[in-house]
Amino acid sequence: MKLRSRKLLDRSLTGVSVMAIVLMALALLVLLGPIFSRGAAAFFFRATSEFRRINLEQFNRGDSRRIAAESQAVAEARQPLYGMLDDFAAELEDMDPARRRELRPQFKEVRDLLRELLGPLPGEMDAVMLRQQYGQTRWERAQVTLQRILFSEQWDYSDPSRMGSKVLVPRRQAFVGTQLEPLFPHLQQNLKSMLRPRFTFYWRFLSDRSLDSHFFGGIWPEILGTFYLTLGAMLLAIPFGVIAAIYLSEFAAAGRLVSLLRVCISTLAGVPSIVFGLFGLAFFINTLHLSHSKSVLAGSATLALLILPTIIRAAEEALKSVPHAYKEAALSLGASPLRMVLTVLLPAALPGILTGIIISMGRAAGETAPIIFTAAVSVGRPLKLWETLNQPTPALPWNIYNLATEHQAVDQIRHVQFGMVLTLVLLVLLLNLAAIVIRARVSRKMRG
Amino acid sequence: MKTNERNLVMSDAASRLRRLAAFFSKGFLFLVAAASLVAVLLIIVYIARDAIPFFKLRGLKELFASTAWFPSGNPPEFGALAIFIGSGLVTLGAILVAVPLGIAAAIALSDILPYRLRQAVKPVIEILAALPSVAYGFFALVIFAPLLQNHGGSLLSLAAWLILLPLGLLIAFAVSEIATRSIRADVAPAARWLLAATLAAVLVRGLVALSAILKNVTVSSGTNAFNVSIILGIMALPTIVSVAEDSLQAAGRELREGSYALGATRAESLFRVIIPAAGSGIIAAVILGVMRAIGETMVVWMASGNAAQVPQPWYNFLSPVRTLTATIAGDMGEADQVLGSERYHVLFALALCLLLISFFANLASEWILRRQARRLGGLK
Amino acid sequence: MIQPTLANIRAAAEPATADYGGRQAHVACDRFSFFYGDNQAVRNVTLDFPSFQVTAIIGPSGCGKSTLLRSINRMNDLIPGGRTGGRLVFDGQDVYGPRLDVVTLRRRIGMVFQKPNPFPKSIFNNVAYGRRLHDGPDKGRLQEIVEASLQRAGLWDEVKDRLDDNALSLSGGQQQRLCIARALAVDPEVLLMDEPTSALDPRATARIEDLIAELRGRYTIIIVTHNMQQAARVSDLTAFLYEGDLIEYGATAQMFTQPRQKRTEDYMTGRFG
Repeated sequence: MKLRSRKLLDRSLTGVSVMAIVLMALALLVLLGPIFSRGAAAFFFRATSEFRRINLEQFNRGDSRRIAAESQAVAEARQPLYGMLDDFAAELEDMDPARRRELRPQFKEVRDLLRELLGPLPGEMDAVMLRQQYGQTRWERAQVTLQRILFSEQWDYSDPSRMGSKVLVPRRQAFVGTQLEPLFPHLQQNLKSMLRPRFTFYWRFLSDRSLDSHFFGGIWPEILGTFYLTLGAMLLAIPFGVIAAIYLSEFAAAGRLVSLLRVCISTLAGVPSIVFGLFGLAFFINTLHLSHSKSVLAGSATLALLILPTIIRAAEEALKSVPHAYKEAALSLGASPLRMVLTVLLPAALPGILTGIIISMGRAAGETAPIIFTAAVSVGRPLKLWETLNQPTPALPWNIYNLATEHQAVDQIRHVQFGMVLTLVLLVLLLNLAAIVIRARVSRKMRG
Repeated sequence: MKTNERNLVMSDAASRLRRLAAFFSKGFLFLVAAASLVAVLLIIVYIARDAIPFFKLRGLKELFASTAWFPSGNPPEFGALAIFIGSGLVTLGAILVAVPLGIAAAIALSDILPYRLRQAVKPVIEILAALPSVAYGFFALVIFAPLLQNHGGSLLSLAAWLILLPLGLLIAFAVSEIATRSIRADVAPAARWLLAATLAAVLVRGLVALSAILKNVTVSSGTNAFNVSIILGIMALPTIVSVAEDSLQAAGRELREGSYALGATRAESLFRVIIPAAGSGIIAAVILGVMRAIGETMVVWMASGNAAQVPQPWYNFLSPVRTLTATIAGDMGEADQVLGSERYHVLFALALCLLLISFFANLASEWILRRQARRLGGLK
Repeated sequence: MIQPTLANIRAAAEPATADYGGRQAHVACDRFSFFYGDNQAVRNVTLDFPSFQVTAIIGPSGCGKSTLLRSINRMNDLIPGGRTGGRLVFDGQDVYGPRLDVVTLRRRIGMVFQKPNPFPKSIFNNVAYGRRLHDGPDKGRLQEIVEASLQRAGLWDEVKDRLDDNALSLSGGQQQRLCIARALAVDPEVLLMDEPTSALDPRATARIEDLIAELRGRYTIIIVTHNMQQAARVSDLTAFLYEGDLIEYGATAQMFTQPRQKRTEDYMTGRFG
């Protein structure tokens, strides 16, 4: 082959491999981008007057006089709207039956949507569900509801060869010539004064309990549950993992038993997480009866098994990287092997062990499959510490799944889902960052 | 200082005590270390214990040969073939995404990028590995699936252009190079360029046609094998990259220098010397990546569509599928109410299959890596 | 090539030194051997290390001198496949006897290694480490002992204001003297030095050699070195090992001026090694 073409091939290899790296980085960006931008919307958003009312009435938060004044002003702004509804209701009674039959369901739809947008209509009894007692708390959700009031969705089947397609029809058309017709432009123009959106930083999203299955409020029960599960898993896994690593790196003579142990550790690392979940159910709950049914304890035990190999490997690696000279020095001063491990080896290996522990903490916090059958429930209150022994808990990873797939109004609480994902991802990223920082500081210290 | 503290010889009792203490402390350490052995045994025993009743009741044939999966039907049917195929299909897809990308990235990390850039890329891999699977699943379900459903055709054709054009040009170039090798030297360059240009034109023409076809593909549901394959591929990337890079590094500088000293380019050194030497490590990397893909639950549960059907034709990645892990996760919610039923036991049977697959894949990769370490150790 | 240094002049001048057989031998080998698996690294070595004197072990690399040294405080115990033959006696007791207390043995026989290996702890904690092992945390006396040990190792003036600094912040020579102080703090009788200056520059080496001269007479010092000038400078007695065999053993002054064995002379004049 010509030299030139050899070089060209060489360069194309470079290109291909650099491309792979770029693609990988791009994948990360594409993944994290929406999670960060839309997750941030759970914390920063334009909150409406309804949001401030909830804060006052449910969490007893905010200046009650100012909010009362605001409610007053908002009610005044909404008054013409409700007037139109009443007028039209009266008009509807007088219409000829055919037209009435046509318009009544549409009118009901408008009223329902308005209730969703602004809260219960005047004179209505308080509803049972919290979500029916308040209107939209977030301006962007209010906009969506507004669109649904202005336009109704219809399906167009005119082309039989294709699938039906969605078309938006202005609702106003149906009500032309009635008292309700001006409602639509009025609503569109005055929605701001009816809801008074204002930029808000809702950091209490992290520390508020959830209200009415996440329609309102924050994600504190999930955060606390994740914290308990992770803490429990670490408490169980760290002693076992570190001691096992000490045994493997310092005391085990090379032999069949030790290589069997190593095979077991790598096998354990390879077991799919869902199998851990099944095992936790079959063993911790159905056999050992750690708890009557799901509980934080059973979930922690299952997670501990899952991260055990990670901790063992990291700790063993850290112990092995401690210079042999330290061990010799300690032994030459008359330390017994065990004393040597406790006084010299462990302190020197601690940063490395800590790094491994922190990374497996992130893993334990983010795992879903092992806790599905052993610890997680969709709705729950924050647990007291002693309740973790026999109570199940909501947890971030599980509730992300649950809210994104099984919630009754998946689309309406996207911001909560994204907020949860962002919280979990940030948690894991921060843990990893801590690990990186510790590693960097240690390598600097070892050099100097 | 008291003299008895300096006695070199211990009394019988003290010596016995010391030996006993050493024995017990070592025994204690061993027992704790054996926890992982106990855990593995317990997992196998307890999964098998609840799986065996199913095989006793139903035998082997139905599970592995039938595609009728109606566990809540009356009578229930437990044909899991479609589920096995679903797992296989998404794993295949994940390999197709992750292996070329992962190996290329590993090459870049071990041989091509300068040191500083390498340090900058490492965190990317670490973060990709650290992100919780439910975050991947959420992305697949909430962002990727709608995108695929609404713009699937254009997305596919864009991907085809991006992947096939550079690859095709490279192949066209190589083919023209090889085909004109035996031609007389004075006309060879012209012939080579002519051939390369023709091939490139054919390639572009083909791509235009392909993208026209792809553009018209309608994706009826964004939650399908294609979606899951790509996400699983990205999830398996860090494993493949780091293990493959380790084994490329382990091939050693001597080998590289030996090859460069003979005048080989970097690409030639890589393909003729280094990759063959690191080959078994790369295979192990692929096995570990495959395990990650097979064992992953949340992504497939959320975004694979969960339809227990065999895609038509079998390679139709755009159809929804159901995998082993997602079946266990999804069905247990209903089945654990009826402890001891066939529905309960069949999930353990599936888990047993999963466990055996991962067990053997793990042993294989372990064996390969150990053999490579021995061989490279012997080289030095 | 042999410099008349303080140490060997003194060794020649003091009759007690030459007449080493008259004093009680603290460490003694009696046909001692050490095997790594099938490979016999030390072969039937018989020699006495007299108390309170400096004995140098020299020989080409791989001659078994380090192995012999490390056998004395049983640092070779950890080597898989290692075993011993013959006897090695310390204070009248067989070091490899069944009931021997290794912890006490190592406490009474301190060791300084090739490379300075302070723990990544503070200077104070390095010196206090061994004391704490044996006495438990007795803060008041610890302070005194640490100071005395650092004084004795000639490091006190340099570090007295920074006892809480990380030991790794010291220079290489200081680190090695710290290691000596650390060994002295547990009050040993014998000090084993395994090429203690091989990782140091000439100036730091000179300080260590001076220190050895100061410690002579208080401790029995056994030093392994591949540097013959160093052996000549610091030691009273010299043992020459070659391929595991003890070739010659005697007063340093005499060894370096009139070796009895041809191989000793060849080695000293640089024909091999």
